[in-house]
Amino acid sequence: MIKIEKMTKMYGMRAVVKNISFEVQKGEILGFLGPNGAGKTTTMRIITGYFPPTDGEAFVAGYSVIEQPLEVKKRVGYVPENPAMYTDMRVNDYLRFIGAVKGLPKPRIGERLEKTVGQCALESVYTRRIGELSKGYRQRVALGQALINDPPVLVLDEPTSGLDPKQIHEIRELIKSMAGERTIILSTHILPEVSMTCGKVVIINEGEIIAVDSTDNLGHKFTESHRIELKAAGNPSKITDMLKKIDGVKGVDGGAGAAVSAAGFTIEVEKDKDIRAEVARRIVEGGFDLLELRYKSMSLEDVFLRLVTEEEGER
Amino acid sequence: MRNVAEIYKREIRFYFTTPVAYVVMIIFTAVFGFIFVRNLTFYSQLSWQLMQNPSYGQRIDLIMGVFSPAFSSNALIFLMVIPPISMRLFAEEKKSGTIELLFTYPLKDVQIVIGKWLAATSIVFLMLLLTVPAPLMAFGFAKSAEWGPVLAGYLGMFLMGLSFLSLGVLISALSENQIVAIIVSYGALLGFWFLGWAVDKNSGQQVGKVLNELSVIEHLNNFIQGLIDTRDIAYYVLFIFTTVFLTLRVLESKRWRG
Repeated sequence: MIKIEKMTKMYGMRAVVKNISFEVQKGEILGFLGPNGAGKTTTMRIITGYFPPTDGEAFVAGYSVIEQPLEVKKRVGYVPENPAMYTDMRVNDYLRFIGAVKGLPKPRIGERLEKTVGQCALESVYTRRIGELSKGYRQRVALGQALINDPPVLVLDEPTSGLDPKQIHEIRELIKSMAGERTIILSTHILPEVSMTCGKVVIINEGEIIAVDSTDNLGHKFTESHRIELKAAGNPSKITDMLKKIDGVKGVDGGAGAAVSAAGFTIEVEKDKDIRAEVARRIVEGGFDLLELRYKSMSLEDVFLRLVTEEEGER
Repeated sequence: MRNVAEIYKREIRFYFTTPVAYVVMIIFTAVFGFIFVRNLTFYSQLSWQLMQNPSYGQRIDLIMGVFSPAFSSNALIFLMVIPPISMRLFAEEKKSGTIELLFTYPLKDVQIVIGKWLAATSIVFLMLLLTVPAPLMAFGFAKSAEWGPVLAGYLGMFLMGLSFLSLGVLISALSENQIVAIIVSYGALLGFWFLGWAVDKNSGQQVGKVLNELSVIEHLNNFIQGLIDTRDIAYYVLFIFTTVFLTLRVLESKRWRG
């Protein structure tokens, strides 16, 4: 559905996006991940047809953003970060106007308006001026203007930034509910958001792609070890010594200086080894009390930090 | 066509849901009305005096005595009230960021520019329409009507107004600050006005003639005397076309640069 080929964007002499390529299949939700200033917004703006790339190509539904920007724009709904809309207009007038501008035939506008308002839960602010709305409602109106012409592609630039936790949850649910029927690109620097909503991740840093994979794979691929979190009562140093003797343990953290009643440990374990049963047995046999035992795989956050820092280390 | 109409409707709605259009039109008609009525009373006193000497009486008429000076001072009122109409068209969208979404809708730049330009043009047209009671009243008193020269004057004022407007739209596309846009518009319009005064056109110097031809005000003179000259029409049309074209170029280049 979306295809980026060796795309570069220069601002003056500075390259903001450097020779990136990736593809998004129909119905996929792609998480576009990177620190601030990595080139996420620039890439998204090119996909929406806002401006053309300096070099390379981008296609949406087979149309080139350089050759046929109007065809691309008809098929993409865009929600910018901090969406600016005409604050003097009422929600219904605004959505009607956007529908018309996007080329919806007049008889269909009413029907689409009704659907969009329902989907984005805008009924209660239908006749309010956009300028009077709270940030959460504005975000929904922004989503509404993106959805009004029922586009097959949605581009969302940090759709949950600045919202309160409840609103964040609602927006995420809304995005997830559209999976399958629409192709969605979602940028964020909040990592849990990606693992919660996206099937595929592109990690970008300083204008370059450093990883493309499915959300699950990415976690596995970069995991050379996993961790067990343990809480036990007893002499911490004795427990630590004992844990280190278990086959497969690479290291033990914590325990030192903690109260005898309950100490927390983090055990780093070699890849593909499950020693949870072994740990439990040893603790009990050693005369200590086992309070908590938890397996923890490497989070996307860890992967991300590792990739970004490795990248910087190479330079 | 529909896209132009949608942009047009949204801009018109803005002008009339905010005080902009009302304030501009009220100030314009009030000032124009004052000047016109003052000219008319002065003219009627003058004609009373001249009745004593019929040979002088033939030298004055309503057009030269009332309409020409009123229309001529109208240039100055336009210079004050048109930049407030044009300044927001692009500067506001850039400042608030709404232009980002606008540029991602399936619209051509030319449709956006024409839609906005037509909306502002309608305001100028309305302003002139509001002054029509003035000649109706004058001709009512005079019991004879000479509409030809008056219509020529209106055509001239409309063309000049659109020239002011188009220059203002160009400046609005260049700036994202409305205050800067309006001040630069005033400066640029005054500049085009003073061009004609820079060198005396009767000094025999070629440069004087050229500068005089470039002045946006000089070309109004024939119109307000009831004379429609294709050179004057060509000047205004070319002025409007050039500024609108440059506006398009400015938007395009800003977008390419990001």
